[in-house]
Amino acid sequence: MIEVKGITKKYGDRLAVDNISFSVKRGEILGFLGQNGAGKSTTMKILTCFMPASLGTASIAGFDVFESPYEVKKRIGYLPENPPIYLELLVSEYLDFVANLRRIPKSEKKKKIGAVIERCQLGDVQNRLIGNLSKGYRQRVGLAQALIHDPEVLILDEPTVGLDPKQVSEARGLIKSLRSERTVIYSTHILSEVAATCDRIIVIDCGKIVAQEDINSLGATGVTTKTELVVQRSSESVIESLKLVNGVRSVQCLSNGKERIIVESDAREEIMAEIAKVVVNNNAGLVRMSPVQLALEDYYLNLISGKRGISL
Amino acid sequence: MRGATAIIKKELRSYFSSPIAYVVLGVFLFVMGVIFAKFVALYQQFNTAQQFGQAQGITLDKLATYLYQNMAFILCFVTPFLTMRLFSEEKRQNTLELLLTTPIKEFEIVLGKFFSAYALMLIMLSLSAIYVFFMVLWGNPELKIIGSTYLGLALALACYVSLGALISAMTSSQAIAAVWTFIALLFLWLLQSLGQGVSASWGPIQWGPTLVYLSPLGHFNSFTEGLVHIKDVVYFLSFTLFTLFLTHRVVESNRWR
Repeated sequence: MIEVKGITKKYGDRLAVDNISFSVKRGEILGFLGQNGAGKSTTMKILTCFMPASLGTASIAGFDVFESPYEVKKRIGYLPENPPIYLELLVSEYLDFVANLRRIPKSEKKKKIGAVIERCQLGDVQNRLIGNLSKGYRQRVGLAQALIHDPEVLILDEPTVGLDPKQVSEARGLIKSLRSERTVIYSTHILSEVAATCDRIIVIDCGKIVAQEDINSLGATGVTTKTELVVQRSSESVIESLKLVNGVRSVQCLSNGKERIIVESDAREEIMAEIAKVVVNNNAGLVRMSPVQLALEDYYLNLISGKRGISL
Repeated sequence: MRGATAIIKKELRSYFSSPIAYVVLGVFLFVMGVIFAKFVALYQQFNTAQQFGQAQGITLDKLATYLYQNMAFILCFVTPFLTMRLFSEEKRQNTLELLLTTPIKEFEIVLGKFFSAYALMLIMLSLSAIYVFFMVLWGNPELKIIGSTYLGLALALACYVSLGALISAMTSSQAIAAVWTFIALLFLWLLQSLGQGVSASWGPIQWGPTLVYLSPLGHFNSFTEGLVHIKDVVYFLSFTLFTLFLTHRVVESNRWR
């Protein structure tokens, strides 16, 4: 559905996006992850034909964004980082204006506006000035604008920024409800959000793609793994002997009620067996031994810091 | 064209939902009212003088010319306040992103913006027709001359608005747009006086007459004398079209800059 090949964007001397390539299948929700200024918004602006790339090509539904922007624009719904709203218009006037820009036939206009008002839960505020609405409602008006023409592709730039937790979960629900009927690209720097909504993530740092993964296989590919040990009696000698095991990177002792030891090691089965043996041999009273799921947060920070050589 | 009409509708709604349109209309009518009062005073003076056989040849039409030349100049001050927000506000509110990512053509945006501000200016111009009403009530003006004067004003306003739109498209600050539009319009007017004082030439080009030709003042003045020359109409229309073309290029430049 979306094909991006070698997109590069320079702002003067600054390289904002550096040779990015990826593709998105129909019906997929893609999370675009990265720090502020990593190049997420720039990539989206290129995909929506708002600005051209310095190099590379991109196409949406088979139409090139440079060659046939008109066809691309017809098929996308776009919510920029700051919702593009007119503060001096009523919500209903604004949606009517967008419907006209989108060339929705007059006969369907009323129905489509009604549908999008319902979908984004704007019924209570449709006759209020956008300028008098809270940030959360303005964001929803922005989202309504992107959905009004039932686009095949939705490009959402940080759609949940500024929403309160309830609204965030509603917005996620809304995005999830689009799964399989629409293709969605969705940028954020909030990690739990991608875990909750996306099928696949792309992590961008400094304009480059540093990882591209299926949300379900996330973390499994890491070279190291963490194991949590719960013991009855922890002692210096247990910690020391664990550190001596070949392949163990670090040992951390935490205690809250029970003694908990976190062992970070290479992800190999024989190391696990060896760790268990050491604990039992030291008579520490092994209660439980379980792998720690490498959380998205750790995974992400590893990617970013590993590349820049910062220790966290 | 549906995009253009949608934009015109939205723009007019925006003008009248903020104080800007009312303030500008009010100030314009107040200033013109003061000038009209002066005009009436002058008219009475000449009427009295003429009863004693003086000031022959001064007619109501000559005085009306004075009134409308003032109006054309005052519109230079008024225009920037109405054109400054056209594009710069869209840039500041990030709504240009909306316009440029929906399937409407750039020229529709430019035309929509131009005609919305122009329509407001024409509304303002038509309100000034109240002076014509008073002139007819107490005098005997040549209505054909007044008609051609209004045609001239309408054409001059098209130039003003297109220039304001162009400058607004180049900045995201309304204040900067307003100041530069005003400077540009003033400069165009001053070209007339500037040209009259220049006698230099370069090859076949006489700088003086060229500068005079480029100023809208001379072209407008022939309308106030009741003369509708094709060359003046062509001047105003080509000025407007060329400026709108440049505006279109500036808006489009977002796509390739």
